[in-house]
Amino acid sequence: METPRQLLQDQSRPTVPAIELAAVTKRFTTPGGARYTALMDLSLDVAPGEFCAVVGPTGCGKSTTLTLVSGLERASSGSVKVHGEEVKGIPPGIGFMFQTDAVLPWKSVLDNVATGPRFRGVPKKKANDAARDWVRRVGLAGFEDRFPHQLSGGMRKRVALAQSLINEPKILLMDEPFGALDVQTRAIMSNELLQLWDLTRPSVVFVTHDLEEAIALADKVVVLTAGPGGTVKASFDIDLPRPRVVQEIRFEAHFVDLYQQIWEALKSEVDVAYAQTTQAGRGADS
Amino acid sequence: MSAVTVPRRIADDTVSVSQAEHTYRSRARWHRVRVHLAQFAVLFVVLAGWQLYVAGDPLKIILYGDPSGIYTQLKVWITDGTSIGSLGDQIKVTLEEAVIGFVIGTVLGVVCGVALGRIRILAEVFSPYIKVLNSIPRIVLGSVFVLAFGLGIESKILLVIVLVFFGVFFNAFQGVREVDRNLIANATILGGSRWQVTRHVVLPSAFTWIIASLHVSFGFALIGAIVGEFLGGTEGLGELIKIAQGSFNANGVWAAMVIMGVVALTAEWGITRLERRLLRWRPPQLAGPEL
Repeated sequence: METPRQLLQDQSRPTVPAIELAAVTKRFTTPGGARYTALMDLSLDVAPGEFCAVVGPTGCGKSTTLTLVSGLERASSGSVKVHGEEVKGIPPGIGFMFQTDAVLPWKSVLDNVATGPRFRGVPKKKANDAARDWVRRVGLAGFEDRFPHQLSGGMRKRVALAQSLINEPKILLMDEPFGALDVQTRAIMSNELLQLWDLTRPSVVFVTHDLEEAIALADKVVVLTAGPGGTVKASFDIDLPRPRVVQEIRFEAHFVDLYQQIWEALKSEVDVAYAQTTQAGRGADS
Repeated sequence: MSAVTVPRRIADDTVSVSQAEHTYRSRARWHRVRVHLAQFAVLFVVLAGWQLYVAGDPLKIILYGDPSGIYTQLKVWITDGTSIGSLGDQIKVTLEEAVIGFVIGTVLGVVCGVALGRIRILAEVFSPYIKVLNSIPRIVLGSVFVLAFGLGIESKILLVIVLVFFGVFFNAFQGVREVDRNLIANATILGGSRWQVTRHVVLPSAFTWIIASLHVSFGFALIGAIVGEFLGGTEGLGELIKIAQGSFNANGVWAAMVIMGVVALTAEWGITRLERRLLRWRPPQLAGPEL
């Protein structure tokens, strides 16, 4: 029986993606006055609760994509929608983890984590209780009163993670968040990220240049073409079972298959990007 | 298990550490003693050289003064008071002018600097005026203030404000513009309004710049107060210096300078304390001697 209700359900559930980029182009004016096209005609959907990794060579506009979704920058043309609404200003329910440290160096760990709720008008005591909870959840219990400079790089990332997650974002944007960490710490952090993600299941867009990391974490890996004018080259579904152990999943045969497939797509783009940088270097030399 | 072994290892270490710590400490103490001795020697050589140079020549003593004369002058001022009242009152007057002007000038400087740093249109509109005001020798305004507001404390405070304001203003302005863009973006996404971002991100970040300017600014505050008293006043250290100069009393001028030096050093000490307290979130500064 084809009831209207069923139709409505079928339409409303999968057709409203958490993030929807349609034919997005982004141009910058460089300090020299020249125009630079970072993204060209990029289209990308992320479903609610989906973990999407974006990989691509240096300078392909990965980070630009995130700033567009977060509302920090506007698209030059095309449409950027979050939960079906056009992005104007910063959409509610968004979290952003930056590549560099963005925790406030003059606030203690606890105050840093409590910043989001405090900004949103939660009373101090309640915000601090919630913050203490999240500090514990990211494994920093006992460090509440430390200042960021007294922590290691990995610990600062945990603070940043708690700072974002305490707001219970529906969408979490991550810009190579673990890029500055050493390999071991990075694997541990990735694992913990997956566990924390599982608690509230926000949609994640995770930008990285590390394909292994991307496959180990994501439901979907999107490969961008080399810039300028980066766009989506291919999209791969990662059907590895969850829960995953990041350090071990790379030994599975299916992981290796996926890696080979995606690397085929990524390789030529990396070559193009590399050729561009070396040519630019040669041009500057002569 | 590990919870048991870790404290024991620390306990073992502390024995040998405390010995090493001990030799290190005594060496550091000896180093400090030697530095103090050298500092004292420098002062002694300068004062003794001065005293010997002018010794026995009354003309030189009148023109240049001499350390023993300065000492006598200070003693007379402290025990018998000055020609215009007790020494304490003079210091109080000058300090009052300097401190009130310093506080007002600093607050104005920070407010204006942050406002112009955060609000682009304000900076664009006011920038030529600020450049013009900054380029004129502002000390001349002292005469204007004395004419307009009389010989009392108000004209001096105004001069101090004008001198203090610009240093603080430019540092606050620059400090606001140097704030890490990522920190602002992060705070905005966490839900901060424009004011909250200013209050929790911009101000603390600019504070390193602002507090650096306070060291210089307090010096300017003292200069403003003294020059204001020079230009027209009836009391204060500047008036003391003016009287001493008028009566060929070089020792009087020097003695007033010694007092000002003590005042300035005390203020500097206070500002450094404040700096340590407000900036305790910063990692320890680079190694090397402090000045």
